Amino acid sequence: MKRYTTIVLAATALVAAGCKDNPVANPIDAPTVDALSGALTRVTLQQLATGVLAQDRTSADAFAYLFESGIFARDVYRIDASEPRYVQETLGGNPDPGSFTGGGAWAGYYTAIRAGNNLILALPTTSTAAFSTAEINATRGFFRTMKALDYWRVIEMHDSVGATIQTDDANAVTDIKCKATVLTYIAALLDSANADFTAAGGTTKVPFTMPSGFTAFGRDYSLVSNLVKFNRGLKGKIDFYRGLDRTNPTPALFATAITELTQALGGAAAGAVPKADFTKGPYYVFVPGGSENTPNIISDSKVGLNPLVGDSVQAGDTRGSKIVARTALAGFGLSTSITYVGAVASTANQAAPLGILRDEELVLLRAQAYNEAGQLANAILDINDVRTSYGLAPVAPVDKTSAINAILYEKRYSLLFEGPQRLNDLREYKRLNATYLRKETATDPFNAAIPIARAELNARGVTTNPACTP
Amino acid sequence: MKRIRSSVFSLLLLVLVSASAFAQTRRVSGRITVEGSGEPIVAASVNLVGTSVGTYTDDQGRFSLNVPDGPATLRVRRIGYTQKTIAVPAGATDANVSLARDVLQLETQVVTGTATTVSSVNAANAVTVISGEKLNRTPAQTIDYALQGKIPGAVVTQNSGAPGGGVQVQLRGVSTINSSFLPLYVIDGVIVDNSSIANGINAITEAGGGNFPSTQDQRVNRTADINPNDIESIQVLKGPSASSIYGSRGTNGVIIITTKQGQAGRTQLDLTQRFGTARISNKIGERCFGSGQEYADWVADTAVAAIASEIAAYNAATTKCHDYEQELYGEHPFNYQTIGSLRGATTGGTNYFVSGLVQHDGGLQLNDNYNKQSLRVNLGQKLGSRLNIRANTELIHSLAERGVSGNDNTGINPYTTFSQTPSFIDLRKQPDGTYPVGLAVVNNNNPFQNTELVKTPENVFRLLGSGLASYNLVSQDRQTLDFTVSGGIDAYNDQTRVISPATAYIEQVNALPGTLVNGNANIFTGNIGANFTHRLIRNAFTATTSAGIGQVRRNSDILSNTGRGVFPGVTNVASATQIFTTETQDITKSQSIFGQEEFLTMGERLLLTAGVNGERTSNNGDPKKYYVYPKFSGSYRVPVPVAKIDELKLRLAYGRAGNQPTSGKFTFLTNLIEEGVTGFRASTILGFPGIKPETASEIEGGLDLTLFGGRAVINATQFRKQIDNLILSAAVAPSTGFSSQAINGGQIVNHGTELGLEMTPIRTDRLSWISGTTYSSSKGKVTQLPVPGFIPASGSFGSRFGNAFVQQGQLISVIQAVNGCTALNAAGTSCPSANRVLTFVGNSLPDYEVGFTNDFTFGSFRLGSLVDWRKGGLGVNLTNDYFYGSGLAKDTALAAAQLSAFAKGTDVWLEHNGFVKIREITLGYDLPASMASRLFQGHAQNARIELSGRNLKTWTRYTGLDPEVSNFGNQSLGRFQDVTPYPPSRQFYFTIGTTF
Repeated sequence: MKRYTTIVLAATALVAAGCKDNPVANPIDAPTVDALSGALTRVTLQQLATGVLAQDRTSADAFAYLFESGIFARDVYRIDASEPRYVQETLGGNPDPGSFTGGGAWAGYYTAIRAGNNLILALPTTSTAAFSTAEINATRGFFRTMKALDYWRVIEMHDSVGATIQTDDANAVTDIKCKATVLTYIAALLDSANADFTAAGGTTKVPFTMPSGFTAFGRDYSLVSNLVKFNRGLKGKIDFYRGLDRTNPTPALFATAITELTQALGGAAAGAVPKADFTKGPYYVFVPGGSENTPNIISDSKVGLNPLVGDSVQAGDTRGSKIVARTALAGFGLSTSITYVGAVASTANQAAPLGILRDEELVLLRAQAYNEAGQLANAILDINDVRTSYGLAPVAPVDKTSAINAILYEKRYSLLFEGPQRLNDLREYKRLNATYLRKETATDPFNAAIPIARAELNARGVTTNPACTP
Repeated sequence: MKRIRSSVFSLLLLVLVSASAFAQTRRVSGRITVEGSGEPIVAASVNLVGTSVGTYTDDQGRFSLNVPDGPATLRVRRIGYTQKTIAVPAGATDANVSLARDVLQLETQVVTGTATTVSSVNAANAVTVISGEKLNRTPAQTIDYALQGKIPGAVVTQNSGAPGGGVQVQLRGVSTINSSFLPLYVIDGVIVDNSSIANGINAITEAGGGNFPSTQDQRVNRTADINPNDIESIQVLKGPSASSIYGSRGTNGVIIITTKQGQAGRTQLDLTQRFGTARISNKIGERCFGSGQEYADWVADTAVAAIASEIAAYNAATTKCHDYEQELYGEHPFNYQTIGSLRGATTGGTNYFVSGLVQHDGGLQLNDNYNKQSLRVNLGQKLGSRLNIRANTELIHSLAERGVSGNDNTGINPYTTFSQTPSFIDLRKQPDGTYPVGLAVVNNNNPFQNTELVKTPENVFRLLGSGLASYNLVSQDRQTLDFTVSGGIDAYNDQTRVISPATAYIEQVNALPGTLVNGNANIFTGNIGANFTHRLIRNAFTATTSAGIGQVRRNSDILSNTGRGVFPGVTNVASATQIFTTETQDITKSQSIFGQEEFLTMGERLLLTAGVNGERTSNNGDPKKYYVYPKFSGSYRVPVPVAKIDELKLRLAYGRAGNQPTSGKFTFLTNLIEEGVTGFRASTILGFPGIKPETASEIEGGLDLTLFGGRAVINATQFRKQIDNLILSAAVAPSTGFSSQAINGGQIVNHGTELGLEMTPIRTDRLSWISGTTYSSSKGKVTQLPVPGFIPASGSFGSRFGNAFVQQGQLISVIQAVNGCTALNAAGTSCPSANRVLTFVGNSLPDYEVGFTNDFTFGSFRLGSLVDWRKGGLGVNLTNDYFYGSGLAKDTALAAAQLSAFAKGTDVWLEHNGFVKIREITLGYDLPASMASRLFQGHAQNARIELSGRNLKTWTRYTGLDPEVSNFGNQSLGRFQDVTPYPPSRQFYFTIGTTF
């Protein structure tokens, strides 16, 4: 019997051991969202703010924003023997929603918008021990402006395809809204941000440290008075394109845009913005290498400029220094031997900052608005303000069309490789077609926008872009 | 819990029922020999039927056993021989038995539980058993290659031709989308990790972009480390109906490997020496320019001077048509394997098996190779009459240099360069030691230079160890109770390096030339278990009851550092100008408690089994909740009064197993750094706190038929496997700011058929022919999906080429692609994207697979062959796009037509990838004993020589290098992407083996 007793005891011990041992293993790779619950402190606000701004930077530092917009606008080539789609789905055919050519400028921006919205929702409504009411208003106004910027980035690449507008419910999948509706929403968002700034007062500073891109380029955007300039500049840009909308123009908005852009330029009259201000504005600052590793992706050895960019530059234009020779790049029916100076692969170029909305762009936008509003003289003043700053003689366009030609020239070289500005202009001026432009390949379809990403279509259970709703 | 506890106690009470002892006994002794030759059979078991009384034969084949007076029945068994039951009349004391060799493996022991087995004669599941001899008949680089074509119900596919492994085993179709999809490997009770660690070549290929290792690193799954020569046998539990004892690791089936043990008898020293080589077995080919003008036309310059210089360049070339593939992949490596083993037992109750392996396989490309060394020591010790202990250990080192292959975005892949290089340009190393640069070096790459400069060593040190102690608590004539404690560890360190020096052309375009990757993976898996096994023997039945507990723990830490801007010759990643680091850690703990009852009755004709396994895992949303995995099975040997039919067994088995979540429980914070300031935002992957294991329920039924006096065996099995609660990475509309969320939901149902026919059409003293044919088919359908259809995470190149897609009502292995156009553009040359027809184009998996094995023995000669036929299945051949797009395809007219069709919306890259392959051929010759003895000065018992070949010939419609290829390596879905892989090879071996 003794043996049986031993057996029973051993069995009991085993079963007990089996039931008692701790089966929990905590995640050891990263914190979970639980780590950030509870009231915001200045430390957690800083972390959330950096999270939003870093996400926004990452989503701009992407193929669709920096390369594809330039390829569509006929400025840029990317030729890669290992990846025919850089040509086949941009200049040789349509972007496929399932590939990188047709799936971009979407998820990253919406993640930034969600992060910004989460931050806004987490903000206290009244002053706390950590934050004053003015600081809360300044923060809310800033992140509303950043949300508006990200919405603009989505719609400028998707154009007539449309975009969605997020709600506070993370699980809500909302309709695809048409461009006009999205632009109206962005305009309203910017105005509500501006109201936050008014409530905060111009001398208030946001209660967190901004990246140097927002403080070191001529203006300190942690100060609300400067944030107002950023906000009004973006609003002026939106209102100008709402006014110009090729299918649904609203000419009344040109005057609004002029007012807003002038406010963003510190009240400077037409032609009166000094060259020294041209580089002022918010920027993205890139840090290649290390655990941060966010190189400016323009630094890319497979990138070239369309030879026409080199051919068209006017003699004496100092912006011609942006165009440099490179070893011949050819394939898929394209060839070039020039490139953008910032595209030459180097660590310095990987760290080159990228303008978000510089005063130079605002001046040229105002010239466009003046021109459309019938104020040709003011338009010429702003055009020549930029032009003469780069060693060129003033021009005197005689009508709206020739002024458009002049503005397009200035914008092309002033804003080379800074995003989709030229794409927006060609499209809205109805010039993105074979009447005005050379076909780059035999099958060049003159793409004007990218489709909705396949992942979005799939999540909605559809296979083609759903019609946008007004 | 309470219920399980009380059942354990009732089990223990059962033990206390004592059985009566025999009143009068006599001693029966005899000798067990091989039928025909009369050689003694060592270690055969001799049992008194209806009791637990038994013994084993000694090294002379002799036994002696006490049996009761009156007529008795003895059963004699030995693995590799057909068992025999003999009647011993009352009063008789002699019993001599001869056993026939079990050439068709009619009788083996099949695993049914942690510590229980049953004879295959009674087994209720279609468990495939592969002997070590059959496994190793034709040498293979790794064990997975050796399994190809040998398991009905398994699709075993190699990912590329690079040396050193990378093979996927899939049992009974696709059983998961996002969880573990490979079978569980268990060696001598040790759960063996089969991860595929990425070596980091992504840093130089940028196939997946960025700096870190990716799924496109042409990874090797780590069962490659196992030494196949140590294997005594492999049992394959194909699905949950057999594998439910493995709980949430059992869904994909279990491959149970038993290594050789020492045995009584003459100490045996086996030495085998193999020499071999390999050669490229398939090439893509390339356009050859016939004239300078043709070349100039291809360049399409319009300037007269440029055309003239192009024609001059062509005319200056000495060789107009380089076969770059042959030039680069034309090595005939010198391969060898040296295998030695010592096997025996001491009189003190110790048995031992010690073996060693030294293996070297070269690649087709200069400086590629695979090397493995292993040392195994298996020890068994009997202490007294009740305690048995065993300890098995194996130490393995492997080193692989696999070069660079597969998808790339830097142009480093040789095929990327070949597809862009006009045929008259010499890329090879020049007599002055330099490599040509200039026009030839498209994308600044010279693959010939890379073979010299770019290194990718992967070094693995691995320790496998297991221990088992079994104590016989009760040993009576009519019942036994054993207590077993067993455990094992599998610990390995996988060190990967990529060294791409700044002197390589490919590096010179980089902002920081010189790339170094230093990766280090430490993976530990440990399992321990304890159980009781009770056998109760009555005249009417034998009941085997087992119960126990188990624990598994797995720790992994995978760290990789990438350095850019490294001085040539330096291999210290800390010296790089930029350093990028990534690390993934994981700890998983599981606990289980199980009980099982096997009931054998009706004269050993009916076997009924019921078992239950409760398991919990830290990866589950609720780590404290036990999930239950039951099983039930029955088999019945039908008495058939027909002379030609020896045996007819009907069987039916049901079981459930799980697949534990590997992630998805938490919403992590993603940290983003901006100018050194750490920021956080919620990850784009939403967590699911309620996540639970996938559950797979399988019902399997079939019959086994033995005919013509054991000359033919037919097995037929049908199964239905249903997987519920799939862990889905459901795509969330990106416009919400999230990309996906893990959820449980959906269902896959797999149906399949497995047939086997084995026979010995000829069996004479001089000539025998053993023939085996296996057929298996399986189809899985997504029967429920609570989310809209989605592209699984496995990786693809977009729907214009073809990707996996999970959609309710479709096959789980379906391919979705753009194929068709509702209306072409006005010119009729292309299909506008809005008009492209996105459709399901077919099944990526084969409709069925058939294996033919044939073994002829003629005197001392033996000829064995294995043919593997896979019917159906589709692949996406992107390799062709490289050559088509550049205008350098071998057949330029075809390329132009295909591109034109592609522009019009046809998916020209989809191809049928079914094939027939001669996997194995071996011709062996046993040297006459006298010659063997003379050769080794009287020390050798026997010697044999063999000539073998592997993958000698392939017939397929597939136009790529190899229809089996997978750019993304092992994948549950979407492994059909073919992007400039490492070419396949034919392998040849010459073997000399001796036994001392």
